[in-house]
Amino acid sequence: MDEARLTDDEVVASVLDGRTRDFEILVRRYSGKIIHFIERMTADSDESRSIAQDVFFKIYQNLSYYRAQNNFSAFIFKVARNMTLNWLHRQKRTVFFSRLLGRELARPPLEQEPPRISPQERDERERALTLGLRRLPEEQRLALVLKVYLEFSYKQIGEVTGWSVPKIETLISRAKARLKKFILLQESGGEPVLQARDK
Amino acid sequence: MNCQRIIRLLSAYQDGELDAARAREVESHVCGCAACRAEWDGLRELDRRLRRLPPPGADPFFATRVMAGLRPFPAGKWRLLQAVVHALVFVLIFAGGFVVQTALNGRSAARPATDSTFSAVLLEPFDLGLLAVHDDTMRLFAPERP
Repeated sequence: MDEARLTDDEVVASVLDGRTRDFEILVRRYSGKIIHFIERMTADSDESRSIAQDVFFKIYQNLSYYRAQNNFSAFIFKVARNMTLNWLHRQKRTVFFSRLLGRELARPPLEQEPPRISPQERDERERALTLGLRRLPEEQRLALVLKVYLEFSYKQIGEVTGWSVPKIETLISRAKARLKKFILLQESGGEPVLQARDK
Repeated sequence: MNCQRIIRLLSAYQDGELDAARAREVESHVCGCAACRAEWDGLRELDRRLRRLPPPGADPFFATRVMAGLRPFPAGKWRLLQAVVHALVFVLIFAGGFVVQTALNGRSAARPATDSTFSAVLLEPFDLGLLAVHDDTMRLFAPERP
């Protein structure tokens, strides 16, 4: 069977017919994009793989709910988006409760330095950008990541998020403006203000 | 066309999301406006930097790990059973909390009556829905007021 020629819907039908090994085709087809998406959202490379794994488990368990011709890409990214946002909210709650109980976590995930994926990432600009991305409001970050790293059109972003095109346009425009401002602040030595505000 | 409107459109223009007419408007304005050109240059620089962030390293064993961790499909009736069990657990927890509270109120007749209320807590990790927790318990977690 020529994997590349099979459409997503054909693979799903095959899996639902009992050829469960065919699910691996979908995993290979989407894992790179899903991991990239989650990593940009969470700024945590280890967690992104773990969340991506859970996304595929969930997709597999709920495959029967997928309606053919309904755009599998949107289906899988919806699940990835929901699971990533859930993870981010859980992190916030963890930090909140640890503070409430008067003890700080050893390494609260949202307060960590951005992970260093490769030696090249020591570049200060990249660090600032990762930090800037992480500090964007969730909706802005989601729209920007889908646009820049997955090259989704506004319409495709709408299919994943349920937002209207004008809303997406506004979110991305604001995200870019905010990031630009953040980078400018970083490069002009304005970071202490932001650090103080974060504390 | 004023600069503010153009600046709002620049991001969508960069993303290739404007129709031909609006794209032409943006282009002709930016060519003749230094402030908007600076804005445009800033957006292009940001885009370059964003795309320069390295993608996550390839994980050759990811698909193998996923396939090894798959559980068999839950059959339709098992899904139904799962939903019924979740509903029952929820009802039991709620009813249990209520019974315990009523019993406690009965025993401590000497205590002045308080507003006994329950708060709903989401049991997200267990996918169980809502759990009723008495407000006295919730107060343990509430920040102290000065």
